[in-house]
Amino acid sequence: MVVALEGETIVDLKPVMGYLHRNHEKIGERNTYIMNMPFTDRLDYLTSMGNNFGYALAVEKLMGIKPTERAEYIRVIMAELTRIISHLFAIGAFLNDLGAFFTPMLYALRERELILDVFESVSGSRMMCNYFRFGGVVRDIPAATMTLIHALVFERLPKQIDDLDTYLTKNEIVRSRSIGVGVLSAEDALAYSAAGPVLRASGIPYDVRRADPYSIYDRFDFDIPTARNGDSYDRYIVRLEEIRQSIRILQQALRDIPAGEVMAVRPQYQPKVPAGEAYGRVENPKGELGYYLVSDGSPHPWRYHVRAPSFINLTSLSKISIGHKIADVVVILGSLDIVLGEVDR
Amino acid sequence: MKTGSRAGIKKDGIFGTGIIKGLRVTLGHFIGTYLDDLRWFGKRYYNDEALRARQGADACGVFTVQYPEERLPVPEEFRFIPFLVYEEDEDGNQTLKCTACGICAKVCPPQCIWIVRERDEKTGRPRPNPVEFGIDIDICMNCGLCAEYCPFDSIKMDHAYELAAFDRFTEHIYDLKKLSKPTSYYEQIRPTEAAAEVAAKAAKKARKRAR
Repeated sequence: MVVALEGETIVDLKPVMGYLHRNHEKIGERNTYIMNMPFTDRLDYLTSMGNNFGYALAVEKLMGIKPTERAEYIRVIMAELTRIISHLFAIGAFLNDLGAFFTPMLYALRERELILDVFESVSGSRMMCNYFRFGGVVRDIPAATMTLIHALVFERLPKQIDDLDTYLTKNEIVRSRSIGVGVLSAEDALAYSAAGPVLRASGIPYDVRRADPYSIYDRFDFDIPTARNGDSYDRYIVRLEEIRQSIRILQQALRDIPAGEVMAVRPQYQPKVPAGEAYGRVENPKGELGYYLVSDGSPHPWRYHVRAPSFINLTSLSKISIGHKIADVVVILGSLDIVLGEVDR
Repeated sequence: MKTGSRAGIKKDGIFGTGIIKGLRVTLGHFIGTYLDDLRWFGKRYYNDEALRARQGADACGVFTVQYPEERLPVPEEFRFIPFLVYEEDEDGNQTLKCTACGICAKVCPPQCIWIVRERDEKTGRPRPNPVEFGIDIDICMNCGLCAEYCPFDSIKMDHAYELAAFDRFTEHIYDLKKLSKPTSYYEQIRPTEAAAEVAAKAAKKARKRAR
């Protein structure tokens, strides 16, 4: 980014984007529908399961199929685990940016590692999961992994999140560095069409899971955490609280998950996708992730567009940084929690 | 504009209890590492049982793996670089399961698979055998779609992940010879999947016979 300074105070800031641009959308129009699935992993590479989810929803809308009941629950379990790892990473990286060098980061990453073990044993890869298919998921969760998920969700994670809470939330240094830093007012948040924790920290309780319930999110009991001030500290608090809500959803999903098939249709390497257009959107950890697809009936999408939450959240950086000291920009950027793979696509 | 530091100090004062309480968590982790060391008493490292416990849901203490000496076991579903399965009979004749149908090459997202099908010398008709099969493993994105959609269960994802080499052109473009691996190897790395395939095949045969 390019920053104009007056002494140490920021008078102007421009994020410079495009260094990681890799033609995602145009490649998406060359690819067949199923070939795009592993490419969506590489958008926001910390939340590949969530990215798969949105894309699968969009194509399923076009094809007019619905996943099986068990697949829906598996999808929700995976998406919520993804939310936990993404927020853990966000909190860890945010504390790193504050100067708490690596101790909080590694406490957060340890829990993330354990969840990645779950992903590895169901999908075969820790980060580039490529687990969702049109009409279900690739394979069922193995029994041993199910035990691990239960142990994590019911015992380990709630305790570790409370630990992280006592460790950081009341810390005076964290508070003095982040309270009042990078304030994004509710009007500005709406004007920049920010989404996810950045929007909710500004006091607007908007969550796609509640506003436009997809999959089976209307069956679960959970809260949408919000905060009032819209500063860096509030964004941290909202993320921490969202991890707790994710654990709540996970506990309900694990309680209710039925037995059965995980694919609704016969797996095909080139499924017939009728002509039309569809928009699939999910509440990804970073915000609302949308996939817009136009099909002309051929094996490839005619148009493929991604609404990337990191990219849109990043546009507000300039507004909320002006007037602060140069050292605060690092904190503000950390609190926005962007992933450059998604910013540039 | 109200700066961050002033607002924070005003609210709770810099010598508050928050830091002390937080440091108690760090101290807990610090002591925990020694307690865990004592629990294993010298057997914490280079020991499979300890490694499983250290990386499981009850993990406490130091979480690191001493990598080249210790290796995390990969789960069965782990996928890295495809290989081709061949069957070997008693005389040592190797027959690839692959029929060169080309579905893997069609479904491959980064398009890193090349196949040349065998042709009958006299008639020029294609025969179900690959004469050339190439995978550029530097392009391969390890998505596993080829293995998933192969109708003959002949291309599978490998578990070997230490593939660094000095020259990418000679060593990272895999040909038929480098890709072929025996069924026994496949059954060893993916026992459940292999058993499921055998069972599915037997069921299909039984259905045919019943008809």
